[in-house]
Amino acid sequence: MKPIDDDFKDDLRDDDLRHDELKHALRREPAPEGFAERVLLRVESARLEEERAARTKTDAHDSGLTAFIRTISTRTVFARPFVRWATAVVLAVVVAGAGGEIHYRRVQYENAQRERAEGEAAKQRLMLALRIAGSKLQLARSKVNQINVSQRSGARTDTEN
Amino acid sequence: MAEPVPAEDVADIAETDFGDLVRRHQSMVFSIALHFLADRSAAEELAQDVFLQLHGNLATLKSEEHVKFWLRRVTAHRCIDFKRRRKLPQVSLDDVPELAVPEATTAGQAADPFLGRRLRQLVGSLPEKPRLIMILRFQEELSARDIAAILAMPVATVKSHLQRSLAMLREKITRAVGEVTP
Repeated sequence: MKPIDDDFKDDLRDDDLRHDELKHALRREPAPEGFAERVLLRVESARLEEERAARTKTDAHDSGLTAFIRTISTRTVFARPFVRWATAVVLAVVVAGAGGEIHYRRVQYENAQRERAEGEAAKQRLMLALRIAGSKLQLARSKVNQINVSQRSGARTDTEN
Repeated sequence: MAEPVPAEDVADIAETDFGDLVRRHQSMVFSIALHFLADRSAAEELAQDVFLQLHGNLATLKSEEHVKFWLRRVTAHRCIDFKRRRKLPQVSLDDVPELAVPEATTAGQAADPFLGRRLRQLVGSLPEKPRLIMILRFQEELSARDIAAILAMPVATVKSHLQRSLAMLREKITRAVGEVTP
């Protein structure tokens, strides 16, 4: 019987089941004929499939905006460098002009808002002043009335005497 | 569990011809699958899948020993997955394949073909993990430590599975011999 390593020294202690018999029963079997070639074919086919999938993905991506831009830039007048530069300059001017206009309008709007707020505050102050003046006037008028009433009653007393 | 990568075996595996790599290890991978599944076509399908996966992972493997360890581990795990997915029926003695290359045992005596088939059938009737342990132990002649690393389980568990499996085989073989001899 073949010597057994220390890990398994207790595994096979009887003669009824021997290491060699198990080793023989579970021996390595040669792979079927053409196995390696079939594996290589599958590897190649998987590689081709990956390439096809990647190409399909790129094509799908190209069918959108990218394809449109590519068509415009290669098959029209925009294919000429001068036209491209001129278009770029015009586009830059238009974009800058639009930006300036937007900024100007925003400043105007902010100024109008500020003036409106200031006018509103001045109106509030005026209303307050008018209310204060009205109440003072009312007070003066009541004092004058009191004085008049007291003078009239003094004159009547003198007449009776 | 860390994969053992011997420092001295540093040949760049990426430069090796993949076809040669397959030819060197095809028998090992196919035999593990065949002994586990007891089905030649399923074993070939599984072995092809393992090598296809190896092709995708070659860049991460550092040496021939690393490749061998990786192949044994992936084959073992795929065997279990395959069995669970396909729910292959339990094999009867008649269905156990006769191996293509008969060998004499190391002692030189002629091997008993009936005993060989009976042993393969009994190994095939073991639960998944003990079956793999038996295959890795007796086909690949690995130590308990190596088997534990491949199956990601403690060494003590490997030893106890092996002892229980061998006790079961011993009992069944003894019973079979008792039935045959008057």
